[in-house]
Amino acid sequence: MNGRRVALVGGATTKFGIRAASWPELVQEAGAALFAAVPGLDSDRVDSLFVGAAEPERFAFQSHVAPLAAEQMGLKPFRILQRTELACASGQSAIRSAYAAIASGLSDVAVCVGVEKMNLPSMAEANTSMACVMDRPWDGAHGATAPPFFAMVAQRHMREYGTTEEMMAAVSEKNHRFANTNPTAQFHEKTFSREKLLRLPWVAPPLRLGDCSSMTDGAAAVVLVAEELAPEFTDTPVWIRGTGQYSDFHNLAHAGSLTEWTGLRRAAQEALRSARLTIDDVDFAELHDCFTISEIIEYEALGLCPAGQGGSFVLDGQADIGGKLVVNPRGGLLGCGHPLGATGIAQAVEVVQQMTHRVPAARQVPRPGVALVHNLSGSANVHSVMVYSREAAA
Amino acid sequence: MSDASLPATSGTRPKPPGRADGPSASPPFLLDFFPLEGPEQTRLAPFYAALGEGRFTTTRCRTDGSLHWPPRVVCPSCHREDLEWVELPREATIYAFSTVLVGAPLGMEADLPFCVGLVDLDGVPLRLFSRIAGPVSPGPSIGDRVRFEPFDLPDGRRFYRFRVVNEPTGVGKAEPPRDPSAHR
Ligand SMILES: [Zn+2]
Repeated sequence: MNGRRVALVGGATTKFGIRAASWPELVQEAGAALFAAVPGLDSDRVDSLFVGAAEPERFAFQSHVAPLAAEQMGLKPFRILQRTELACASGQSAIRSAYAAIASGLSDVAVCVGVEKMNLPSMAEANTSMACVMDRPWDGAHGATAPPFFAMVAQRHMREYGTTEEMMAAVSEKNHRFANTNPTAQFHEKTFSREKLLRLPWVAPPLRLGDCSSMTDGAAAVVLVAEELAPEFTDTPVWIRGTGQYSDFHNLAHAGSLTEWTGLRRAAQEALRSARLTIDDVDFAELHDCFTISEIIEYEALGLCPAGQGGSFVLDGQADIGGKLVVNPRGGLLGCGHPLGATGIAQAVEVVQQMTHRVPAARQVPRPGVALVHNLSGSANVHSVMVYSREAAA
Repeated sequence: MSDASLPATSGTRPKPPGRADGPSASPPFLLDFFPLEGPEQTRLAPFYAALGEGRFTTTRCRTDGSLHWPPRVVCPSCHREDLEWVELPREATIYAFSTVLVGAPLGMEADLPFCVGLVDLDGVPLRLFSRIAGPVSPGPSIGDRVRFEPFDLPDGRRFYRFRVVNEPTGVGKAEPPRDPSAHR
């Protein structure tokens, strides 16, 4: 990449779950957690704030949320203050924007906060908001929400490649097991065997409850700084090495193959190219497991296994510690919950925790040198990828 | 858009006819999935007017021949506005589907359970997402034949879905009441 190198010097998340806390309160909690996690962070030095929030107008009946979030966190940004919205990838969008701002010299110290408050008294209204992520008058009006769309993806993958419910349950079991080591996860204290997962009720066949990430309340925050400032904050910075993104459709009529995610392939190629790394250099990955089938197809799109073999890959333990590539040691969206704006930032927090060896041994990646983080958004019509490393680029 | 010959729909949303509990009763505008269909609100009003005549239409570019979905006012290939309305095939084949059992949006809870799917239109390279009417238990199968079906919303607006053809009679879910004039 051109421009200044950018360091991720710390981050933290709130508890994820069905929270007795409002949107602004979650932002306050994330701010408190961030300032506790990064003792060298002085409010006055934060020149920019990027707020990842997918649907505050819907979920919190609040727009103009960037200054609201700044006030909640006690920040007075003097260079760039903005919200980033990219549905399920709103959090990663905040990090990508902060990265661009620092690399270009516009910002020196930027905070990214991601937040979503999704549990409302009327879940039908929340579901309505989720359906607006689709092309509302043409797809949403027919009843297109994420579960039936990804159910069709799973149906086609099963038909074309023989993927099974057991394979999908293996994804969910793995990610819930990792979430049991993560106290901030929504399902920290719930265990899910494959047998139990296969008995859970259907949401949209062939997807059961355990195949779907949750409607979750939560927030997360990180701080990014220009390379020359990193030593003031930490002895163990994590470096943003590259990023890529690809989008080729929105209306579902243009989805093409439901099972071959060329958009992810292209976004990951661009991220790794810009990082001057290959997928073989990656030590662990945080992938967007909004549904179990998503993670299976993501293995394939990233080239971890041949097309159609993603189910066998997870069933064989290749996405587990000791396998080919550890995927979602944080617990994933399935185990942690998926507060849309917070997810991408919580994934970055996990990267910092892993690379500084501050996670429980049960989920510690042995040599966490390079991480790939992925978010899809909507109907997998946008793919966003970041590559982080413990070592700075040469 | 060059074809202004199609009749317009009735414009703004009329008040629902004294019925607030139906699956498609009009919620507040910002919770209403269905589009504003009238010529005062959209340049695609001819699409909805055609639905009222039982016709399924979209736009095609007169410059480069590209067939659009959804219909458009500017061609995404050549960025020109010289478009024409054309009829679409009304028969299609299910490519993928699912049955929504829980988690319906506001206004669709009464429809549960319902099928949605991607259907390949006969003879044109279009695979559309649509509600699929017909029995849900057992539901349809990939490869089943479906047919375009316009219907009226309680407030007079028009929309469309596909229906599985040759479904057994009497086992389908009750549909919202319709204006018989919608099926001319
Ligand atoms: Zn054209």
